[in-house]
Amino acid sequence: MRFLFRRFLILVMTLLGLSLLIFVAVRILPGDLASVMAGLNAPPERVEALRSQLGLDRPLPDQYLTWMADLARGDFGRSLLTGRSVSVQVGDRAAVTFPLIGLGLLIAMVIGLPMGCLSLLASKPWVRSLVHVLAIVGGSMPALWGGLLLILLFSRGSGLLGIFPSQGFAQGGWSTPGKALWSLVLPALTLGLIIGASLMRYTRAALADMLGSGYMDMARACGMTRTHALLRVGLRLALPQLVSVLGLTFAEMITGAMVVENLFALPGLGSGLVSDLGNRDLIAVQSELFMLAAFFLLVGFLVDMIHRLADPRLKAAGEGGSGTSTRQVTA
Amino acid sequence: MTTVAIVARSMWSRAEGKFSILVLGLWVLVSLVSLVWTPQSLWATDGYQVWKAPSAQHWLGTDGTGADVLSWLMAGSHTNLLISLLAVLLAALLGLLLLTAMLASNQLLAAGTVVVVDALISLPTVLLALMLAVPLGPSIAVIVISCGIGYGLNLARIVRPQALLAAGSDYALSAKANGAGGWRIMLDHILPNVMPTMAVQLSLSAGTALLAESGLTYLGIGVPSGVPSWGHSLATSVKFIDVFPLTVLWPGLLVTMVVVALNVCGDLLRQAMDPVSNPELRKLAA
Amino acid sequence: MAKQTSAEHRTGTDEQFGTAEQTDQVGSGDGTVQASDGARPGQAGSAGWALAASTDASLNQRTKSTDHGRRGLIWAIVAATVVVAFIVGFVLVRGRGKSDAAPAGRPSSKVTVGLKLAPSNLDIRNQSGSALDQLLIGNVYEGLVARDADNHVVPSLAQSWDQNADGTLYTFHLNPGMTFSNGHKLDSEDVVWSIRELVSKQYHNADQLKNLQSIEAPDANTVELRLSAPYSSLLWVLTGRPGLVFDKGASYDMKTQAVGSGPYLLTSFVPNDSATLQANRKYWGERKAKTPTVVVRYLGDDNAAVNALKSKDVQVLAPITENLATPFRSDKDHYQVQAGDDTDKYVLAFNSKGPKTADLRVRQAIRHTIDHQELIASRGGSDKALGGPIPSLDPGYEDLTGLYKHDVAKARELMAQAGYSPANPLELRLTYANTYGTELGDQLRSQLKPIGIDLKVNVVEFSTWLQDVYQNHDYDLSLVDHNESHDFSQWTSPDYYYGYDNPKVRRLYDQAMASTKPKDTSRLLAQAARQVSQDAPADWLFNYRVTTAELKGVKGFPLNLNQTLMPLRDLTYCPGVGD
Repeated sequence: MRFLFRRFLILVMTLLGLSLLIFVAVRILPGDLASVMAGLNAPPERVEALRSQLGLDRPLPDQYLTWMADLARGDFGRSLLTGRSVSVQVGDRAAVTFPLIGLGLLIAMVIGLPMGCLSLLASKPWVRSLVHVLAIVGGSMPALWGGLLLILLFSRGSGLLGIFPSQGFAQGGWSTPGKALWSLVLPALTLGLIIGASLMRYTRAALADMLGSGYMDMARACGMTRTHALLRVGLRLALPQLVSVLGLTFAEMITGAMVVENLFALPGLGSGLVSDLGNRDLIAVQSELFMLAAFFLLVGFLVDMIHRLADPRLKAAGEGGSGTSTRQVTA
Repeated sequence: MTTVAIVARSMWSRAEGKFSILVLGLWVLVSLVSLVWTPQSLWATDGYQVWKAPSAQHWLGTDGTGADVLSWLMAGSHTNLLISLLAVLLAALLGLLLLTAMLASNQLLAAGTVVVVDALISLPTVLLALMLAVPLGPSIAVIVISCGIGYGLNLARIVRPQALLAAGSDYALSAKANGAGGWRIMLDHILPNVMPTMAVQLSLSAGTALLAESGLTYLGIGVPSGVPSWGHSLATSVKFIDVFPLTVLWPGLLVTMVVVALNVCGDLLRQAMDPVSNPELRKLAA
Repeated sequence: MAKQTSAEHRTGTDEQFGTAEQTDQVGSGDGTVQASDGARPGQAGSAGWALAASTDASLNQRTKSTDHGRRGLIWAIVAATVVVAFIVGFVLVRGRGKSDAAPAGRPSSKVTVGLKLAPSNLDIRNQSGSALDQLLIGNVYEGLVARDADNHVVPSLAQSWDQNADGTLYTFHLNPGMTFSNGHKLDSEDVVWSIRELVSKQYHNADQLKNLQSIEAPDANTVELRLSAPYSSLLWVLTGRPGLVFDKGASYDMKTQAVGSGPYLLTSFVPNDSATLQANRKYWGERKAKTPTVVVRYLGDDNAAVNALKSKDVQVLAPITENLATPFRSDKDHYQVQAGDDTDKYVLAFNSKGPKTADLRVRQAIRHTIDHQELIASRGGSDKALGGPIPSLDPGYEDLTGLYKHDVAKARELMAQAGYSPANPLELRLTYANTYGTELGDQLRSQLKPIGIDLKVNVVEFSTWLQDVYQNHDYDLSLVDHNESHDFSQWTSPDYYYGYDNPKVRRLYDQAMASTKPKDTSRLLAQAARQVSQDAPADWLFNYRVTTAELKGVKGFPLNLNQTLMPLRDLTYCPGVGD
């Protein structure tokens, strides 16, 4: 409980610090929204008029406090540029990004888990090596490049096999779920293959670890074959760890998601943030950055909590040290 | 010195080790060469020869300004080398600093650092980079700093258990009893123990930094225009993949190869540097 | 075998997520897992050591028991097969359902147009950018007068107009029985209100409406506009935003909605993504919209745009990057690709008040050095060379490309006079917005190198350019696409970022504006433009021409000026004509 409290306190303090950091960072950047809105042939008076109309001429502490007060009330403000509420805007974009990441994760699991087992259990050494090499190469590709290769292979229009659309989200959004899902296939595949390759290596490592554990010996002693024991007992034991890794991967996949969204022209969180930044839409940028940061901090916090709660061994353990890389033996 | 030689020999003894060492060696070599020589000048543009297929004069073809793709990739390798090295260096420094704080005798500082690291570690590097790009604009610094911080936090977290173990060892304790300071103990007793894990981790981070470079540069917050880098070559060719798919192939292939080499290198280092698995190292110690 | 197994085994825990995903995913993956180990040291430790004791045995067993691995392989294959089957099935199902196109020969009820630059909101009175003019003017909003494809003024809400002899009173005769799409009547009161609002609130482009003295509505169908002095651009200005007529009686959020009198209604707008136009069934005029639904999609990414055209997700694409248009050009059975004239001027401005570029010789040398034909060739060859500030669709155009011929020897000489040489180069900064791509900067850098100019290229966000160059005039060289038509007045205001000031040019321009005869206006403007070009305050890299690609069967899409003016009422698409 004490740990939980301390962790939470730090979370809140980190968020406060971040909010200040984001606020300041957003203000230092050159260029302002008023001049972007006014355009090339506008007289300076018009820029000034717009600036005061947008409230950009108010003192900074004042702006910061207003923002914080609004945040505390759950009001993320209104984009100065589009006039839409930031939370609605973020909601719309999240409706693209999160399904994309979710689908990507699913593909990653479908590929990663079985292949991970295969890379350890396949009887032929060349199969094991091949799968292992695939995993390493897959995990070493820039997402951008992976996406491009998939476009060259499968996109309607320029691909060898024109199957999937490679640009934009379905017109009607999620009101046409089939089309929406369809337009996410290639981007999700890009993410899924790359994450899947890593998951494959992770699964392999976790299983290899289990192979040597007492649990396995136990299972073997009960008469299971090695493979059987590994899949029935080992995988199950490794699963909580795999799940918590996946939880964090979800948060981390945002990076890949940003590149992929831009490449496939999806109106998601990443591409939105980049374009808001370019337009100097301060309110939107600061609230979006803050929301994302808060989201990931929370995910991290929850994963930590779940890990502690789910694993009874953790609760019992006291503070102390042990090497993680010492669990190795000579052949 | 001998340790390094043994580790290197043990890596070389395996096929993937040879691959890794060759690729990385070539990378460094090309980077150095490209500082003084590239097949064509980077700025030899020719508006009538844009997006040309590979030819005797341009081995990998030309880009959108008619400049030589091979030359840009060669020159890019030193930018990428620089980014990787700086990011890894920053990560190592930050990691050690945090580690020292985590092992500090001041309980508040130690516990505080642990919790702060736990909290900050869940921030994706790209978010960090976006925040940095706001005041800094697209620059190499954005990549180096965001990666350095991200990987530094990671490093601290990963080596902490081992460091704790080392700090609790009889050697460290007796040194402490003899009046050695915190830094002294860190250098003499803890650092040598966490070195292998750190080396492995940093080797992996170097690869990740390369991937980060291509992603961030594509998003427009990484390497600025006019500076050759693999991410730059990849990002500029993306626009024309439809008509000139070949131009996309090279930079991506290059990044993948080098990252694979770094990853393999990390894996092999782990094995080669472990006295338990490397009998020769054991002999040395004996 | 044994060696390999043990190696694999050892890649254990530390490897974790080790290497992998793109960018940084790896990083934290590693961290957490590892840290969780750290956070439960007891477990990790004891398991670890327990393991050590048992591993030799288990390893030995592992090497013996490889044949059992086959089942894992089988399972993996089964799983993989299921996935593949799932995907293939999905593909087949989808493939069958894909026939929503109308039967051949009949006009399609929906046409999708792909554009590049998206407006960020719909507030045409406040938000700058030609993307808004392009989408809304002539489609949703209408002006007092309009422009045709040759940039000439034609009737719109006003069916005709008179002008008094000294050019200070314009009388507009409105069409009878006009309505807004919401059913409200549109008469002279709305016109007067719209223009008065523009002036009092100083909406976008209000400054273009010069010399306005008063605007009155003597009756419901007549508007009288009085000027304090003649202004020859007045009618043209009224074809743009200053002449738009809004509904006085309507209230709506102009950022997210648009209510006008045009042939189309704007039914949905997703920022940076798309806009949907539905034909206005109750349109007041004769020339109603021919296609019931037009969807405008914003495809910022060139590749995505080309793919959309290839896969027929869009039937029209404007602009298409010329370099990417080649395959469509050659496929004449399915596509029609054409470039239209436009008023986009790629202006490479030299800061006339800058410490280095104040020297006329340097500016002239740069103009002699730049090889415009090469720039145009690298961009695909459809752009036009432009030697001065006025493009061919504007009054006062004449071909000025001969003033500064490509002549590197002469440029070197000029640079030598100014005291620079390749051995002792002049360092200049070129600042421009990232929307124009990095190629132009790289090309200029290499073209200027031989005459002793070391060009440092600084590609920035548009907003940064606005602040540094446009507002603070902190630059040596700047590149921007001035796409507006009739924008010569830039060269007559010394405070503009060019820092260019020539009283003779100002006098000529004032005379041109005060003239009541279009012929005189053109002649005077041409003189002024020639003077500007001679003074070399900038180099005009080229006149960008927009290339439009359409599926065969598309008719009525404007080719000229379509990035600022894109009336869609005549647009139709008959699929199957080319298939």
